[in-house]
Amino acid sequence: MEMIIIEVLSLLFAALRSATPVLAVVLGEIMTQRSGVINLGVEGQMLMGAMTGFAVTAITGDPWLGVVAACGAGILLSLVHVVLVLGCGANQIASGIAVMILGGGLSAYYGIPFVGEKINSFDSFGGSGIGSIPLIGRFLGATTPTVLLTLISIPVISLFLYRTRSGLHWRSVGESSEITRNLGHSPVPYQFAAIVFGGLMSGFAGAALAVDYTSNWVEHMTAGRGLVAVGLVIVARWNPWYALPAALLFGVSEALNLRLQSWGVDVSQYLLATLPYLIPLVVLMLSFRGLKAGGGGMPMGLKAVFTNS
Amino acid sequence: MHIELYNVSKRFGDITANDGVSLDIREGEVVALLGENGAGKSTLMKMLFGLYPPDDGAILVDGKETSIHSPQKAMSLGIGMVFQQFSLIPALSVLDNLLLAYPRAPFWTFRHLFETSAARSGQILDYLHELAPGLAPHTLVRDLSVGQRQLLELIKVLNLNARVLILDEPTSVLPPQEAERLWGMIRKLAEGGRSVVLITHKMEDVMACADRVVVMRNGKLINTLERDDCTEVSLVQMMMGERVDRAPVTTPPHDSVTRQPAKVLIRDLAASQGLQSIRGINLELRPGEILGIAGVSGNGQHLLADALVGLARLSAGDVIIDGVTLQSASRSPASSGQVSYIPEQPAVNAVAADLSLTVNVALSHFRNLSFFPHWAPEKATTESILENYEVRPPNPDLKAGQLSGGNLQKLVVGRELKDEKDLIVAAYPTMGLDAGAAHDIYQALFRKAAEGAAILWISEDLDDLMEYAHRIAVIRGGEIAGIFDPREADRYDIGRAMTSQQSDETPPTPDTNVETRTGVSG
Amino acid sequence: MNQTTTAATSPITGLKRLLNGPWTPAAIMVLAFVAASMAFFAINGREPVGLFFEMVRGGFGDGYSFSETLVKTSPILLTALAIALPARLGLISVGAEGQLYLGALFGTGTVLLAFDQPGWLLMPLMLAGAMVGGAVWGIVPALLKTRLGVNETISTLLLNYVGILMVSFVVHGPWKNPNSLGWPSTVEFPEGAILPTFFDTRVHMGLVFGIVAAMILHVLVTRSRWGLGLQVSRSNPRVGATAGISYEKNVLLVMAIGGLLAGLAGIAEASVIQNRLQDGLATGYGLTGFLVAWLSGQHFLRIIPLSILMGGLMASADSLQLYAQLPKASADILQAVLFIIVLAVGGLWRRRTMA
Repeated sequence: MEMIIIEVLSLLFAALRSATPVLAVVLGEIMTQRSGVINLGVEGQMLMGAMTGFAVTAITGDPWLGVVAACGAGILLSLVHVVLVLGCGANQIASGIAVMILGGGLSAYYGIPFVGEKINSFDSFGGSGIGSIPLIGRFLGATTPTVLLTLISIPVISLFLYRTRSGLHWRSVGESSEITRNLGHSPVPYQFAAIVFGGLMSGFAGAALAVDYTSNWVEHMTAGRGLVAVGLVIVARWNPWYALPAALLFGVSEALNLRLQSWGVDVSQYLLATLPYLIPLVVLMLSFRGLKAGGGGMPMGLKAVFTNS
Repeated sequence: MHIELYNVSKRFGDITANDGVSLDIREGEVVALLGENGAGKSTLMKMLFGLYPPDDGAILVDGKETSIHSPQKAMSLGIGMVFQQFSLIPALSVLDNLLLAYPRAPFWTFRHLFETSAARSGQILDYLHELAPGLAPHTLVRDLSVGQRQLLELIKVLNLNARVLILDEPTSVLPPQEAERLWGMIRKLAEGGRSVVLITHKMEDVMACADRVVVMRNGKLINTLERDDCTEVSLVQMMMGERVDRAPVTTPPHDSVTRQPAKVLIRDLAASQGLQSIRGINLELRPGEILGIAGVSGNGQHLLADALVGLARLSAGDVIIDGVTLQSASRSPASSGQVSYIPEQPAVNAVAADLSLTVNVALSHFRNLSFFPHWAPEKATTESILENYEVRPPNPDLKAGQLSGGNLQKLVVGRELKDEKDLIVAAYPTMGLDAGAAHDIYQALFRKAAEGAAILWISEDLDDLMEYAHRIAVIRGGEIAGIFDPREADRYDIGRAMTSQQSDETPPTPDTNVETRTGVSG
Repeated sequence: MNQTTTAATSPITGLKRLLNGPWTPAAIMVLAFVAASMAFFAINGREPVGLFFEMVRGGFGDGYSFSETLVKTSPILLTALAIALPARLGLISVGAEGQLYLGALFGTGTVLLAFDQPGWLLMPLMLAGAMVGGAVWGIVPALLKTRLGVNETISTLLLNYVGILMVSFVVHGPWKNPNSLGWPSTVEFPEGAILPTFFDTRVHMGLVFGIVAAMILHVLVTRSRWGLGLQVSRSNPRVGATAGISYEKNVLLVMAIGGLLAGLAGIAEASVIQNRLQDGLATGYGLTGFLVAWLSGQHFLRIIPLSILMGGLMASADSLQLYAQLPKASADILQAVLFIIVLAVGGLWRRRTMA
């Protein structure tokens, strides 16, 4: 019995660790979409963040500098989406895919010297006394600063979005930029901030993946995590609080993928590797049923992008 | 505050919307701006609200000539306007919508900051508590009735310290009882020293609460009278002018229609779509019958029409025409060649905006086109519709999106009435049209009834329904709340059927169409 | 004012008219792309002008490089069609990559099943298998959209990864050739399952399939009632439904046809280029096809020359990698830069003409 509990708990915390990069992207993308803009470029921004964060950590030896640089890289790349969507009025999906290709290409190009490099990553909390808490200490102790930072950002984002004037304007822009404009508030600064915040979070997510979680850099290492995150935004109903369970869906499927092998389940690793895509997709199907029935929390400004039937 | 408009003119292209109109609005009075659709009332007031600059003339505020170049400027002067199209965000709460429109909203928006009187910062909720004491600030706007939404718009304007309130056709969407409540409120605001301009085409509005009446026709000011100096008859005459060579709208006589056996049977119809649902709809239509559907918008009219024409899946019941089942719960919905559909908001619901008028007309018989269609005959058909219905500009190669709303409405009516159909479903077919065009459309539509088609006519205008329909069915909360004979029914009875009298009942859920109207439409 | 005076315009108004013509945005895009790619080379310490012309030579310099360009053109052309056809209905599918892999997977499966059959039977079976595979990967997101309303962009993006992993699964697992050591793959295709090639080059039948499909689709979409139905549904599905045009059926149809074409691209790559199914079959063609479909404005005849240009870019990236040690990722970067320029110039131009 105790074995099972330990196994489940360790699976859950493993899931939390592997869900963290996805969670960060989901949170950023929720804020972007809350302003009525969708950005598929988070995949590329995440890759840029991962490469930059890894490279800076490798050069300076300081993972915190890596994280900061990764956030900067994510923001810089998201500015391309800002210019195309807000500046030139380009199609949001197409612009997002352009950013995705650009981020993939740039990170692969400039990341070549760092492939196979070793870095000093974050220490886990195991040594700081948390690890000695009975029963769950050994699991909590395995968490790292990026996990904690991402978790803390949930209430902060919620507080801003639901309890401040700027958050109210932010939401109203996503519901109807036209009404918001008629009320005398320009939607552009909010959408600008929303895309840039998405850039910050996805850059951070890249660092959480490359610097912290895997301590490794390979080109295209995000393997669609950013895109999964865009899907999970719908599962999370554009609500930062639901982002955690939604991201855990990905985390659990990925952790299961690794666990099942260690439990000796004889299924090809390649088939198991489809789980992190298939499970979110299945949950997405259920969420879309809710959307179709009305509600689902979708900002009205996104309606044109999502439901053209 | 005293406002004078002096010799104001406005032209849109070839059309003169306002022609040298002079008018003053005194403090504490209610001015009714009376005229038919298209008389230029809204345009005049939109200039006062800073939405258009006048081409000629001047606006004086307290005797000083003032340029009102934007709504922001108008609001800073204390002029506020409530439009027919609400600018509320349905997904947000009443409080949030008020905060959005409030100029000095606090940074933190925790609800208790506003709800506990001790900690109240600002007067955001004062008017809400005063005018709508029962309305909880955290209710979502999408759960409000149309009347409540209108009230909220009014409160938004009052929160801006407006001294002059312009209300654009405020009673057109309200059932009689709610209109009465609004009149009372308008009187109260005027007694409190505010000026109210009431744009309207309804005589009751004038009689109920105006101090002065300003009558407009064809962009010109016809007369200004004290309310006590005028009668309904004289006002109607001024509003209509000389009605030249306009044939009366004729409908098939009641007796001949009621003698016929039913042609269209709607049995136990139920459907749901999004938040909307209808259930237990039982109606029958005889050949030549005009069945009016009355109701506050958002009570299932939209879905009923969709279910009849095969755009929504039925969850129960069927639609039978001449003994043949047209739609049924056991089948996928499908459109049929036997039914014409004139939907509301034709720009959104009836045309493909980026395709030509010819293609849009050909859509009514898309099934009969050959696999590689010939366009010459289609173009000829289109040209004849453009001519008969006076669609401007009469160019069949234009894209549908390039036509104005009224012209598009005429095109759609022309398309839908061009063939013989058994059932015609018409939702608000004259919305947004001036009086002459509306008259022509009623004529064309009801001529089809005389030719034997059954007409299901959804309208918000109780006066028109009372005048033309053979029977009026009231829809409320997705169900038929009563069927009335307009020859003997009382408006207030119909009004009572439209609004629920039990206070415990939840307000009707607005349909998607209402949301697009308040949301992205422009 | 009579006709002659209006015709005799000053050089300045003539220039203005030329600048407002339809070719102006295209010219701006080309110039901006040339400048941006040279800037990219310069930033990375290369000699910009020389390398740019080296790049052009790498794609179109001689017969051999042009044939390699055409080899790259066929999958780009077919995947671009797989994106452009759904786009005609207003769908933004990004699923060509997964459909390509599924086509290769099903086609290879057919080959392995009918391994000993003669070529006249094996070849059509293989192509049919590939088309079915690609179509399945188009129909899945189509069903998800029509039945559950799942947004097709997101589902196709996720299904791409699943398709690629399924190919990995078979080549590492059940279909693995025991004799392939370092790079897992299936056994080599028999002679009868190799698509014909032309003039002793690697240019293969896939190109012909693509060009023929583009022309047929062009006629159907621009001239037929079906094409009109797609236009109407795209513009306003509700109005289409009122006219009796089933949006749902059309979604399934265009996604299936698109998938089928991408599936053909997949089996052509496996059959002619690799002679077997293996990992990393054709990475990136799907997104390049998306780019081409977007550049063409979903115009099927424009897709053909644009695919050749893009094929040239990819072929020269291969040769530059070899001769100039320019990393392969530079092809991705240049594609992205091109896409960004097109979106920016196109967006601004549209805004300008609307104002």
